[in-house]
Amino acid sequence: MSDMPEEEDRAAFDRRMLEALVCPLTQAPLHYDAARQELISKPAHLAFPIRAGIPIMVPDEARPLD
Amino acid sequence: MTTEQTRTTHFGFQTVDEDAKAGMVHGVFSRVASKYDIMNDLMSMGIHRVWKDAMMDWLAPRPGQRLLDVAGGTGDVAFRFLKRAPGATATVCDMTESMLIEGQKRAEAEDMAERLSWVVGDAMELPFEDNTFDVYTISFGIRNVTRIPDALSEAYRVLRPGGRIMVLEFSQIPNDMLQSLYDAYSFNVIPVMGQIVANDRDSYQYLVESIRKFPNQELFASMIREAGFDHVKYRNLTMGIAALHSGWKI
Repeated sequence: MSDMPEEEDRAAFDRRMLEALVCPLTQAPLHYDAARQELISKPAHLAFPIRAGIPIMVPDEARPLD
Repeated sequence: MTTEQTRTTHFGFQTVDEDAKAGMVHGVFSRVASKYDIMNDLMSMGIHRVWKDAMMDWLAPRPGQRLLDVAGGTGDVAFRFLKRAPGATATVCDMTESMLIEGQKRAEAEDMAERLSWVVGDAMELPFEDNTFDVYTISFGIRNVTRIPDALSEAYRVLRPGGRIMVLEFSQIPNDMLQSLYDAYSFNVIPVMGQIVANDRDSYQYLVESIRKFPNQELFASMIREAGFDHVKYRNLTMGIAALHSGWKI
């Protein structure tokens, strides 16, 4: 989680993305894990991956959390 | 909704379990992604570009608006919108990751990168807050959605009051003779083109069948009203081969 994006535009992009996205199942806000490149929905117990800058916001592709 | 019996839907002319459709549609678009733009040109003889421009003319994008383009695939609609509206932003949301990757490779995507975001998501379960967007577009995508009313309700939810939905989709020609000519063209020519250009006849066979199964102009307008939209209107394009539907969240 100490991994800060290096480029400024990348950081701005990440911020904007976080502001707009919610969990597709619960519509709860998401927690951004920059190191793992995941968006975490605590209520749904799912971590949605971000691949090549694209958040993958479908439950089938998400990692279940314990 | 309490019944336990399996719910079915259409996959082209086949009847399939609802649970299976999303995966089958996903398969079609994953297979065709890299050839999608060229196939659209061939299938419509380039007319899909004219239709998308007609969509923009009716939509009249304004500076600073926030667009959500669902099933936006390779970014066609989002790019057009951003070119017409300085300072506007667009989110392209599609079920198929490979379509978005194709879109990001296009020159326009690079030029307008700071105004674009790309998200893999389901039209029936949008990963966005209520009242977020000024404009919702879906272009040649809604007929592939398993439960169309769910997608329309989600569109209504994520639009701000005063926001607008616009749908571009294949439709029905209100003239039986012309419709049967068009059917002959689409059922005989398009799957063969799909075979030649994309080496994938089945995917294009599905596309043609799904066009024929989609509700006509009036019926689809009533589905948009059911989702809560007001001032719902439609315009036929190229005699009704396609139609634009517009509605407002008041």
